[in-house]
Amino acid sequence: MQITSNGKPAEVTDNITVTDLLKELKVATPEYVSVELNGEILDREQFATIRVSDGDTVEFLYFMGGGEL
Amino acid sequence: MDIETMALHGGYAPDPQTGSTATPIHQTAAYAYASAEEIADVFAGRAPGYVYTRLGNPTSMAFERRLSELEGGVGCLSCSSGMAAIASVVMGLTRAGDHIVAGSGIFGGTVSLFSKTLSRFGVTTTFADSGDPESFRSAVRPETKLIFVEAITNPQMAVPDLPVIADIAHQAGIPLVADSTLTTPILVRPGEWGADIVVHSVSKFINGHGNSIGGAIVDTGKFDWAKGPFEDIASLAKLAGRLAFLAHLRRLVYRDLGCCPSPFNSFMHLTGIEGLALRMEAHCRNAMALAEYLAAHPKVAWVNYPGLASNPYHAVASKLFGGRYGGVLTVGLGDRDRAMKLVTGTSLAQNLANIGDSRTLVIHPASTIFQEFPPEERDAQGVPDDLVRISAGVESTRDIIADFESALDQI
Repeated sequence: MQITSNGKPAEVTDNITVTDLLKELKVATPEYVSVELNGEILDREQFATIRVSDGDTVEFLYFMGGGEL
Repeated sequence: MDIETMALHGGYAPDPQTGSTATPIHQTAAYAYASAEEIADVFAGRAPGYVYTRLGNPTSMAFERRLSELEGGVGCLSCSSGMAAIASVVMGLTRAGDHIVAGSGIFGGTVSLFSKTLSRFGVTTTFADSGDPESFRSAVRPETKLIFVEAITNPQMAVPDLPVIADIAHQAGIPLVADSTLTTPILVRPGEWGADIVVHSVSKFINGHGNSIGGAIVDTGKFDWAKGPFEDIASLAKLAGRLAFLAHLRRLVYRDLGCCPSPFNSFMHLTGIEGLALRMEAHCRNAMALAEYLAAHPKVAWVNYPGLASNPYHAVASKLFGGRYGGVLTVGLGDRDRAMKLVTGTSLAQNLANIGDSRTLVIHPASTIFQEFPPEERDAQGVPDDLVRISAGVESTRDIIADFESALDQI
């Protein structure tokens, strides 16, 4: 199915969980990533159970590094 | 994975680019990107990456992963020194008007940080009795933001009852910070006894070879930052979950204070931590043998080592540390003159200000580490003039004892 990931289109497995999505998109250091699904920040304890649907918008935020405040 | 294995393999992978088994030393200040957009993405947190070693470095992060695994924590931040680690933690948790409750008899550097430096910024400290948990409860005030203890105090060798003090902290809604420098995760994981944050002077037993200064902060994952009295950390909890406190430090306090470690030092600490389990075994064996030898020696007035059955902390140390009691002991020689003669008289044991080196170390704390405090304050901190501190190394037990025997013969 197709989703938008950090502003770019991405082809991913249907009905994938957030945990598996992080692996499939090869997101580095997933433990330092927060996930926003359709504008809502997800509770990290739920990554393994929340599933992504066709047309969803996902934003990954690396909250630990970079230079951002 | 057993802890000896974890010391080598916890969070470990060979370098993905070259296959190097040892972690490459990324001795770099900054990190280049091909395009302006790519580096902008990293700064905005849209993409992973490093930007500046004060904020993060791959070699340092490899060490952080290893120590976090060993402590059973959720994450680790490594620092330029143990004092930087303690300062970052405390400055991340307090602001002007706030209060700290700390155990007695702790490291002089920490006493100085709390009572002389942080007091300049309106953060006050009450020192409770490390041997009396209830004294912590009565010291807590509405503005107290943390309780700070050392797993084994240096140099008073007190062993605070961690789980009881953790309960007291949690009933007050505040975290317990435990400095586990003398114990390391090999003897105890303070998180398993209720500590919320663990700090280390990595310069000591973890580095193990007296070659580099370093510090570390581990979040044990026990404290619910979303619900605690720290508004700024709670606001990060949504984004970062259990990593909210470490994110608060890395993105703000630690970043602004500039407490970063040298990548080269991180490499030394990684090399050292790999043999930590083996060394702690030898340190503990040698400290016990030396404590027993000195306790029986006519020229020694007293010996302070939690491993001795007569020691007031023997029972609580046995409960917490699984039958090992650390590598540090203190002895009393009766007066300052004889104490200093012992320190000068050893030849194998090195006279210097450190603990946890592979070599046996010896020092007279009253005239060195604690010399800036007047005699009454030193006494209150459990540092009499006749006290000698010994850090038992990993030499043969026979050679260590022979060295002290020879030094005592000359007194």
